[in-house]
Amino acid sequence: MFKQKFSKKTGDLSQLTRRGFLVAMTATGAMFGFRGPAHAAMTLSSSEGLPTGTDGETFEPTLWYGIDQNGQVNVNIIRAEMGQHVGTAIARILADELEVNWQDVQITHVDSGEKWGLMVTGGSWSVWQSWPIYRQAGAAGRTALIAAAAQKWGIDPTECQARGGVITGGGKSISYGDIVATGLSRRFSEDELKALPLKPNSEFRLVGKDVTALDIANKTNGQAIYGIDAKIKGMVYGVPLLPPTRIGSSVVSIDDSGAEGMKGYLKTLPLDDPSGTVPGWVVVLGTSLMAAKKAAQQVVVNWRAGDTAAVSEDDIQAHARQLIDDPNVGAILDTGNTDTATAFEQSSSSLEAEYTTSTVLHFQLEPVNATAFRNDEGVWEIHTGNQWQSLILPALAKALAVAENKVIMRTYMLGGGFGRRLNGDYAVPAALASKAMGGKPVKLVLFREDDALFDSPRSPSVQKLRMAFDQQKSIIGMEHHAAAGWPTQVMVPSFMPKGTNGVPYDPFAIDGADHWYSVGAQLVRPISNDLANRTFRPGWLRSVGPGWTHFAVESFMDEAAHKIGANPLTFRLDHLIAEGYNAGSAPNAVGGAARQAAVLKRVATLSNYNSAELEKDTAIGIATTFGQSRTMPTWVGGAVKVHVDRASGVVNVQKVWLVFDCGTVIDPDGARAQCEGAALWGLSMALYEGTRIENSNVRDRNLNTYTPLRMIDTPEMEIEFIESTEAPVGLGEPGTTVIAPAIANAIYNAVGVRMRHLPISPNDILAALSES
Amino acid sequence: MIKLKINGRDVQVDAEPDTPLLWAIRDEVGLTGTKFGCGIGMCGACTVHVGGQATRSCITTLASVDGSEITTIEGLNPANNHPLQAAWQALRVPQCGYCQSGQIMQAAALLNDIPNPSDDDIDAVMTGNLCRCMTYPRIRQAVRQAAAAKREV
Amino acid sequence: MKKRKSFFAKWLGRIFWVLILGVLAYSIYAYNPSIEPMAANSLPTYDPAVIERGRQMAAAGYCAVCHTEQGGAPYAGNYAMETGFGTIYSTNITPDREQGIGRWSEAAFTRAMREGVDREGRHLFPAFPYNHFAKMSEQDIVAIYAYIMTQVQPVQVPQRNNELPFPLNWRYLQAGWKLISVDLKPYQPDPEKSALWNRGAYLVEGVTHCGACHTPRNAVGAERNSDKFEGAIIDDWVAPALSANNESSLTWSAAEFSEYLKTGATRQHGVAVGPMAPVVHAGLRELSDKDLTAIGIYLADSAGSADSEATSAALIAASLEQSKPRQSHRWDTGERLYATACASCHYNAEQIALGRPELGINSAIHLKQPDNLIHVMLDGVDNQDGIAGVVMPGFRDALSDQEMALIAAYVRSSRTDKTPWPELQQKITEIRKSTQYKRGN
Repeated sequence: MFKQKFSKKTGDLSQLTRRGFLVAMTATGAMFGFRGPAHAAMTLSSSEGLPTGTDGETFEPTLWYGIDQNGQVNVNIIRAEMGQHVGTAIARILADELEVNWQDVQITHVDSGEKWGLMVTGGSWSVWQSWPIYRQAGAAGRTALIAAAAQKWGIDPTECQARGGVITGGGKSISYGDIVATGLSRRFSEDELKALPLKPNSEFRLVGKDVTALDIANKTNGQAIYGIDAKIKGMVYGVPLLPPTRIGSSVVSIDDSGAEGMKGYLKTLPLDDPSGTVPGWVVVLGTSLMAAKKAAQQVVVNWRAGDTAAVSEDDIQAHARQLIDDPNVGAILDTGNTDTATAFEQSSSSLEAEYTTSTVLHFQLEPVNATAFRNDEGVWEIHTGNQWQSLILPALAKALAVAENKVIMRTYMLGGGFGRRLNGDYAVPAALASKAMGGKPVKLVLFREDDALFDSPRSPSVQKLRMAFDQQKSIIGMEHHAAAGWPTQVMVPSFMPKGTNGVPYDPFAIDGADHWYSVGAQLVRPISNDLANRTFRPGWLRSVGPGWTHFAVESFMDEAAHKIGANPLTFRLDHLIAEGYNAGSAPNAVGGAARQAAVLKRVATLSNYNSAELEKDTAIGIATTFGQSRTMPTWVGGAVKVHVDRASGVVNVQKVWLVFDCGTVIDPDGARAQCEGAALWGLSMALYEGTRIENSNVRDRNLNTYTPLRMIDTPEMEIEFIESTEAPVGLGEPGTTVIAPAIANAIYNAVGVRMRHLPISPNDILAALSES
Repeated sequence: MIKLKINGRDVQVDAEPDTPLLWAIRDEVGLTGTKFGCGIGMCGACTVHVGGQATRSCITTLASVDGSEITTIEGLNPANNHPLQAAWQALRVPQCGYCQSGQIMQAAALLNDIPNPSDDDIDAVMTGNLCRCMTYPRIRQAVRQAAAAKREV
Repeated sequence: MKKRKSFFAKWLGRIFWVLILGVLAYSIYAYNPSIEPMAANSLPTYDPAVIERGRQMAAAGYCAVCHTEQGGAPYAGNYAMETGFGTIYSTNITPDREQGIGRWSEAAFTRAMREGVDREGRHLFPAFPYNHFAKMSEQDIVAIYAYIMTQVQPVQVPQRNNELPFPLNWRYLQAGWKLISVDLKPYQPDPEKSALWNRGAYLVEGVTHCGACHTPRNAVGAERNSDKFEGAIIDDWVAPALSANNESSLTWSAAEFSEYLKTGATRQHGVAVGPMAPVVHAGLRELSDKDLTAIGIYLADSAGSADSEATSAALIAASLEQSKPRQSHRWDTGERLYATACASCHYNAEQIALGRPELGINSAIHLKQPDNLIHVMLDGVDNQDGIAGVVMPGFRDALSDQEMALIAAYVRSSRTDKTPWPELQQKITEIRKSTQYKRGN
């Protein structure tokens, strides 16, 4: 699916990976003066971060790994490491199937060579997509090694057993390394791989167990190397001057007389960008980053601003409402019976509510940056942390006016991804600056305020939800209209599927609205907010659309329950029926609505939702979501206990309970870590985080006014995973979505006001309290 | 020429006196374990020790630290096995890891001044350090665990 | 008819004569003879103990601080002093025979210290605190002379011209200033007090010239003896009162004064920054512990009786309680900024750590004027200030005037019961502007 759609047909760059000029992702142990050329592959496991590489004879049954004559297994990882310990998760799948000990495994994060296929790290896809591939790859190695041993001993392979990197059979034993040393070259075709027998889950020795994550040690001693740490001999530094609008600005004049003569100032470059990625950009170069920064403060640029220069968040939201009111725009999702018009005509009562969310910044802690140069082979190298190399490579090639096989990306550790680095737009100006300097290495760093200005933020959204009830107060129809900026439309429109009405839509901006409740006729209408799309680059931000769609759906479910006098828990469970459209399907959504009902029930029990005795103005709210999409749902049940201070409107989140069903848990501790982080992101975006578009740009650009959750705001959390042997699905995002609606529902339960905007501020609560 | 002692080594830095210490450490001295986050002293990613006290190096000028002793994450422990580093690894605190040098340096200074911190103490001191992956529950736990380990020594 | 002189003319005549006589008398009074230049190579030999004593005394008088310009050679002068009347540049007091005091004899040096007159008989401006040095013993003055003449490198740097308006630049008039403004008698011990107290008084009133900054001055720039140690503004900083009117949360004890002047910090009050930093680090710390103890005793007597242990403990406990983190911190901008930018270094648990100034009892928070706090917020505390080796970064480029004002107002209101500082933000804007030079902007 995803992969087939986007496999690149370019020349073979695989030799480049062998040259040993890959940059060290983990530094050498040198404490001092380590500034020489990097010389390591991006190997995480070796003692000092140096690449151990492979020793002597090496057996590579598939593209994904090699075993050397010492039995060392080097696993190739195409996913970017941004905190999910993804290499560890994937390598362990392989190691388990291959039957090797964990201490013999190391990881190499590969470059963007064509042989690796699509490179993207996002959508909570990594483990889900890797699971079958790396299991097959492991099985291939095990099969080949056993076959070789059996042949050597003259016995049948079925008499042999592999365990811990050793094969035993017929009273003999031999290590993998020793077999490899004899020379082994068997390769497996796709068909052969698919036919290989896999271990039963009961035989897992690494999957589902806690093992040492290979990236962690170097993240505690300063040796992990991120994009911003890239060092290339002879590099100069660039700091950009950003135009007044993200799109459509052009440079009228540049006056750098104020910078002339400043120590370390080199020059000011207006960027000529054939790819159109960074229109109106100017880059100031210096011999050090601070020299460039100080000079940049003295350079005066006059721009002709794009036509969105005066656009505000209110304009964007007003436009969204107009779009929602126009029945002729937007796509219609295939949700079975979409004839809600009839349902509403026949209804005896109905409910309608509007939910809105503010713009949200990624604010990943490492500001975006990239280092670009043309190497001795004439290939452009882009050194940076990136989540979607395959997306930005064509733009880089276009910007540099070279064929795609003349550009290669080397992915460093990401100082936070959260979706920001899916859009690699920040690599383009580095490439352009280097191009203007004849291929000289240029490290371009956006200081924090620039990073915020240039962010691809989560679009503000407006959603209108409607529900129709019959005389028995049963739901007979539901509509969900959602208007927002669409990241997929502005960055990779070819990815957009079409609705039943033939209109393409951004699935990431509507996932979640197509929920698993049986509601009779169901209309889900995603609408692209073209004003948002023209004003800024809407971005994929941790969970993307489900960050707002679930807020609306799950708040609305509580509102509906209260309207008909039902218990919100019972009301939900009554409509989570695993039948028809909501029955679920193999391999990823087995069980459908029934599994969602199960996590909800469990979290209600854990939190004592229906029977907890709480202090005044204190209450628990529940919600249930699924992520990332209907096609690969991780089921989430959430409950949040809040206290609302009626005098100040301040919400104190006292405790969070979460129950997840993500199928097989590959890495229990890593899974928990992802869920903790995701849930706290959800809390941050529910109460603390949000900005507004003012004059075409985000208002808040640094931590003096942008205020994400910090340690003191962190509540007690209780997290549980449902034991399951189903296919593993993603965990990076689902925890994010359940918190906001659970909080909104808890606030309602505590003080009786319904909050329909994110983030929920004390002032909004005070206003709502004074109205009620 | 500004003279410093970094991780026990004498260094001379030839940079403008108003250069932030952070960039001198990263780009002049070449130690990149100390990170840039916000540039306004409000995320803590750049935390180093100056005279044993946690200090935000992104807003500390080179001139102001002339003659002082600086410790970065690379020099916290010769074997990279400070009780905090051990706890950080045991509890698998880091996710993306970018803020963790600063978190550990801040926590190390915390334990020097407050060897047996309560959760309130940890919150008060560590709230200046942003973790965008939101590893806060584990940071809290790791600080407590390291404090206990230090007391046993 | 005999023409009578009019009454008016007669009086005019008398006034004329009085004036003539007055000017004559003043001139005689103001006149000081030149003292013969000392011949080359005729400096007496001094005992090393005398020279060491001179080194300590020169440090305690911060001679080098005011006689050295930024980046200049020690004692070579040209340190700019903004007096409020105009800018004065300090003189070269290295033993250089052309530009320094190489031709000055002991007698000339002693006269300068005692009477504010240079070797050639010209009056010195009172920016040179000879009113205090006059209290010193001859022995101590000669020791300083011995130290400078034997240990300081001669440097041939000419003095810059002072920037004083007429008639203030007329040194002749300085004699009149002396007449009305100062008491140049040597220190007289108070027999009622202890020897240590008297030792402290001798040092404080004399060589360390504390009153030069901590006593307010009158319209002609002389220390107002009636308001001795009541605090003053100096170089845009507040020199707090050293009297019972000191605004600190906890009253200064003798031991804290001594500790502060020796190390640059105390847990109960804060650190020595701004113009006070060199007083400690380039000065008083060179004195013997006994002398520092004596100074502490004298100053503590001036500051009034110290708090009881119970009172101190209660004040400290209240401060610690006030700094406990609050979950609702983020809804007050000042408190939120404090929690994220300040608390990590200023928070204390049960014990106040030396490197974590506890703001609830910090002097700067309790002063009537916010200036000292603003200075530190803007430009921090350098390695040369406060606690040796420890720094605080400045937030000049990190926070806006408004944000700093919100933090300062939050700290003031949450940690003290004093009235809010008026026009805080405007004050920050002013100080930010006036101190830009410090950052070379």
